[in-house]
Amino acid sequence: MRNTTRQQLQSAYILHQRPYRDTSVLLEVFSQDHGRLGVVAKGVRRRRNPRQALLQPFTPLLLSWSGRGELMTLLDVESQASGYLLQGSVLMSGFYLNELLLRLLQRQDPHSRLFLHYDRTLTWLADMSDQARRAELPVALRIFEKYLLEEIGYGLMLDCDAEGEVLNADRLYRYQVGVGLVPLPDNGRAGVEVLHGAHLRALARDQLDEASARGVKRLLRAAIDQHLGGKPLQSRKMLLEMQRGVAPP
Amino acid sequence: MKESPLISELIEALRCLPSVGPKSAQRMAYHLLERDRSGARRLASVLVESADRVGHCGSCRTLTEAELCGICASSRRDRSTLCVVEMPTDVSAIEHSNVYSGLYFVLMGHLSPLDGIGPEQIGLDQLTARLAEGEISEVVLATNSTVEGEATAHYIAELCRRHGVKASRIARGVPMGGELEFVDGGTLSHAMASRRPFQ
Repeated sequence: MRNTTRQQLQSAYILHQRPYRDTSVLLEVFSQDHGRLGVVAKGVRRRRNPRQALLQPFTPLLLSWSGRGELMTLLDVESQASGYLLQGSVLMSGFYLNELLLRLLQRQDPHSRLFLHYDRTLTWLADMSDQARRAELPVALRIFEKYLLEEIGYGLMLDCDAEGEVLNADRLYRYQVGVGLVPLPDNGRAGVEVLHGAHLRALARDQLDEASARGVKRLLRAAIDQHLGGKPLQSRKMLLEMQRGVAPP
Repeated sequence: MKESPLISELIEALRCLPSVGPKSAQRMAYHLLERDRSGARRLASVLVESADRVGHCGSCRTLTEAELCGICASSRRDRSTLCVVEMPTDVSAIEHSNVYSGLYFVLMGHLSPLDGIGPEQIGLDQLTARLAEGEISEVVLATNSTVEGEATAHYIAELCRRHGVKASRIARGVPMGGELEFVDGGTLSHAMASRRPFQ
């Protein structure tokens, strides 16, 4: 029998929560040192339970839990700072990050570096409540996607092409699964599959701008979709639906 | 002692109610059978009738057995204000407070991207149609104060903007009789951020 573990005041975020039994909720937690966890918070859906206000996504928390096996029991929760105020399409992007973590991380696999990166990305997203900075949204998402792929062991090879040559900013490339970046002949036609060397180098150095973020979007999307097992991301679908708006009857 | 098949079936059936475990279900079953047969018959017939006849109000989506619910059918309500809430229980809560005299729209949930609940599942196409009719001049967003509730409110506010309808969000802050010391930080920071001039 596995021993009961007890963890005190661990840095963590809530990725998602759903009602569990009559008064409890089942939390999907992303913790700094213990990775993704399922934690049951008992009795928080009772009237006037002060924990309920704290147990929200996008809020840096300190959680204590105990348990063994798959599901832990929440012992205590404290807020580390006030939650990030994400609004509108930025909030939807926050849901997207959470869904990526839920779908791609295994339970109880620690990902401390990714946790810090998630934290930084949320700070960045919160700054975008200012309309003027909204254009940075795709940049933040692409860089997060890159780190996420690296963390789960499927990082893109962005330093050099398939033959080991350093990427040339002026050349065009095509990404081939299992092989890497294949340079296209100079007369190669530009198309959606084509990647610009300059964009790839910007991604490798975290120096994306709007144009290069657009340029590598398909590459990252294809790389992520490979690991989703054919089940589409709900938040991505909804973001598109929201952009279209509900069609008038 | 094991109960007879019919009684165990009754106990099992009662367990579909929220907060009812095996022990309470047994207590309810024995109470109905031993002390309150007429109550049991009444409960049974009302349950069957409600299950067959209760549907959604054609206008606000709340639960009702009529074509339109009492509030939507009333001639005394202000038809230019629409309050959007998540559940029928929210309608009763607001009605009890006696401060609102407009109409309601009940979403029966909230947007929840991670559970695959999108705009259509919470009847926003129907709400869009209501907005397009032009009778409504203000929409009061009274969705829950959760991340999903906020996402829902934002989405509906966007719909209102497209239809030129004013949208307002209910305020949140320190509860009545609440002592600041015991109010959680999130609520307090919202209360502080949306403070207003003292009148």
